[in-house]
Amino acid sequence: MNHETTRRELLGHAVRGAGLLGLGGVAVYLTAKAGDEGVWVLDISKCVNSRLGATGIEACELCATSCVRPLSAVRAINDFEKCGRCYICPAYFDVMSEVDENGLPSAKLCPRDAIKREPIGWVDPDDPANNFYEYTIDEALCNGCGICVLACKDPSGLGSILLEVRYDLCLDCNRCSNAAACPDDAIDRKPLSRAGAPQRHPAS
Amino acid sequence: MQYRQVRVISGKGSQPEQFATALRGIALDRTGALYAVGDSEVKVFDADGTLRRRWPTSKPGYCVAVDRDGTVYVGQERQVQRFDDAGKPLDAWRDTERMGLVTAIGLIEDNVLIADARDRCIRRYDKRGRFRNDIGKDNRTRGFLIPNGVLDLAIDAEGIIHAANPGRHRVERYSLEGQLLGRFGRFTGPDPRGFSGCCNPTNLTVTRAGRVVVTEKAGPRAKVYDATGKLLAIVANDAFDQNCKNMDVAVDAQGRIYVVDTVRLHICVFTPMDDRAASEPASAPAEGATKP
Amino acid sequence: MKRSALLAPMLVLLTLATPTESLYAQYERPVDVAPTEEDIGSGYVTPAVQRPLPRSTLLNITDIVLLLGAMGISAWLGLVRRSRTGIVVLAIACAVYFGFYRKGCVCPIGAIQNVAVALTDPSYAVSYVVIAFFFAPLVLALLFGRVFCGGACPFGAIQELVVLRPVQVPRRLDKALGLLKYVYLALAIWFAVLPAVERDFIICRFDPFVGFFRRTGPAYMLIIGGAFLVLGMFVGRPYCRYLCPYGGLLAQLARFSWKGVTITPDKELDCGLCAESCPYGAIEKMRAVRTSCLSCARCYTACPRERAPARGDASVESHEATG
Repeated sequence: MNHETTRRELLGHAVRGAGLLGLGGVAVYLTAKAGDEGVWVLDISKCVNSRLGATGIEACELCATSCVRPLSAVRAINDFEKCGRCYICPAYFDVMSEVDENGLPSAKLCPRDAIKREPIGWVDPDDPANNFYEYTIDEALCNGCGICVLACKDPSGLGSILLEVRYDLCLDCNRCSNAAACPDDAIDRKPLSRAGAPQRHPAS
Repeated sequence: MQYRQVRVISGKGSQPEQFATALRGIALDRTGALYAVGDSEVKVFDADGTLRRRWPTSKPGYCVAVDRDGTVYVGQERQVQRFDDAGKPLDAWRDTERMGLVTAIGLIEDNVLIADARDRCIRRYDKRGRFRNDIGKDNRTRGFLIPNGVLDLAIDAEGIIHAANPGRHRVERYSLEGQLLGRFGRFTGPDPRGFSGCCNPTNLTVTRAGRVVVTEKAGPRAKVYDATGKLLAIVANDAFDQNCKNMDVAVDAQGRIYVVDTVRLHICVFTPMDDRAASEPASAPAEGATKP
Repeated sequence: MKRSALLAPMLVLLTLATPTESLYAQYERPVDVAPTEEDIGSGYVTPAVQRPLPRSTLLNITDIVLLLGAMGISAWLGLVRRSRTGIVVLAIACAVYFGFYRKGCVCPIGAIQNVAVALTDPSYAVSYVVIAFFFAPLVLALLFGRVFCGGACPFGAIQELVVLRPVQVPRRLDKALGLLKYVYLALAIWFAVLPAVERDFIICRFDPFVGFFRRTGPAYMLIIGGAFLVLGMFVGRPYCRYLCPYGGLLAQLARFSWKGVTITPDKELDCGLCAESCPYGAIEKMRAVRTSCLSCARCYTACPRERAPARGDASVESHEATG
């Protein structure tokens, strides 16, 4: 009986040991490859809202509605280094709305009012057209619909507003529903090492 | 007043009369010959569109102007290159501090006015290339507001500089000394009487009678204003590729309007449909009346 | 191989970190005419682009630590402390954190396919978090049985909470249905190892409960999930027992587990109350079957011996469960 138990225990230890070694081996193999796993990247040269040459169209708003997050993990950013800081920003204002008494368009473009407008620099008290304006997108409100991106695109704008995947919200789903919905295949999984050359530091 | 399109000159392609990648600036000389710069070439066309001659420039040209004596000025990145009327290179003006990107040149008497899009102002030189003064630099935004990337100017019969200030939706008039003499235009959204979009008008020229012809981008169109800023005509609404911007414009003695389609790389020619406009009251003939 | 094993912990710290600028694709701009800081004046400084940073390394490590902790507590509560209340509290906590807060990602179930792809496709890799989430429950299963299912898995938790009036599924039917999860596992691996263009992450696509955690999802997903929850009122944990491919992996490893649930603290009474109390049909011949025991601790509460003697006896060495 005692002998029997010991043998069974030994056998059990052996099986478990082999199992642990096997799992460990596979884990080590995967660990050696890890660090270059893919992330979902939005290719702005494919996205119809920012793709040059695609004009006279309606904005594609699928990123706002397709994402599994209640607030889409795709959002618009304004690249301040490229923004013309226009007096009348076609992405902030609906430039086809009637002009109000201040000489500005009466309607804003963003359906969620997520863009803020502030005069900056030397502010001219007499002539509001004689100033630069900063346009800042409120990331808590922006749902990535891309309407402003299309309006800012060359030639009507400078193309400083672009859609991006927010990696704080992106769940890194195996099946990205934005990618599945995108008619231009603009969202694709890319390994970190191949996700594009460094352009700038995100928060430097 | 109405215009109709009568001709298309040049186009995209590899033929001698065509441009391969870019067509940026046009100008007319006193005889009505059309000078066009693009790629790294100057091409001279007859009024009917046949290529008369062509020659290379050292860098891609952004604008062109023709002096009374036939000297051709071509604005480029960091320099202005000069040619004689046969296309032989004369010299190149370089001024590292004051010439970033030359997108318009105006010629009047002994003055050469150079629009520097990099520093967003107009430089006044004499014909020997000596700098005199800046125009349009002394304001709170340190120059013209040109989010479109191009600064355009024209000189009228009285030697007054007209410059487009698209960020403010205005056409501004300056004296040669840099004093702001007047302005017209404002943002009017969908109403064509004023200017639309973020930054319009982008380019302009002045007729002998002092009318101002402007082009806008997004959507691309050309319009004619009188000297007080009253809209006289919409030359064309749908003649250009929707992606066009910074369409250079020129006008000849007969009132024909030449507009560059910067995507299709051709020049659209529009003629007034009624005779009154064609024979607009002639005033003193001016040098550089047809701006680059 | 050995060196990478040594380097792994350091690499974890390095590469869990922010995937930085390389994520943002290049864009050829037509013009570059933005006003400079000097143009704008008044000491204006161009602000940095608002770009929320990815989940930090620290938070990712926190997830892994919490998973290990949850499984450790689950093992302790189920095997030593024998506390049904404790297990329920732990399950709710894990459903809240891994389910509703972390939105059900990363989960070891879906990770099966990622791991399968990473093992067969040289150009595909999985992150350290995925590796940890996939392997930790397997190792724990070798040691203590399916403790992941019992307390840590948010899918298990959500089904555990809806068990209302469970029926005993006839043993043969139960066994037959139990084979489904191996079919699903095989299918999942098959779809994962297909060439990249045909690859399909079916586990994620037909994930029944993640829609509830995210409070949004395709209609079919929510319908499947709702159906499983309604069924789950009468058939204990139908997804875990019959469909969960990861449950299949855990079951086979739990077969050889070092310790497992032992129902009676000392000597069984042969009363059979425990078997009746088990909604998962995991008790055969008065003993917990390690492959199907989900470590839920219901049997303890049903056991007269558990209730009668002093608590101090609870940890007394008892009969081995059958493997």
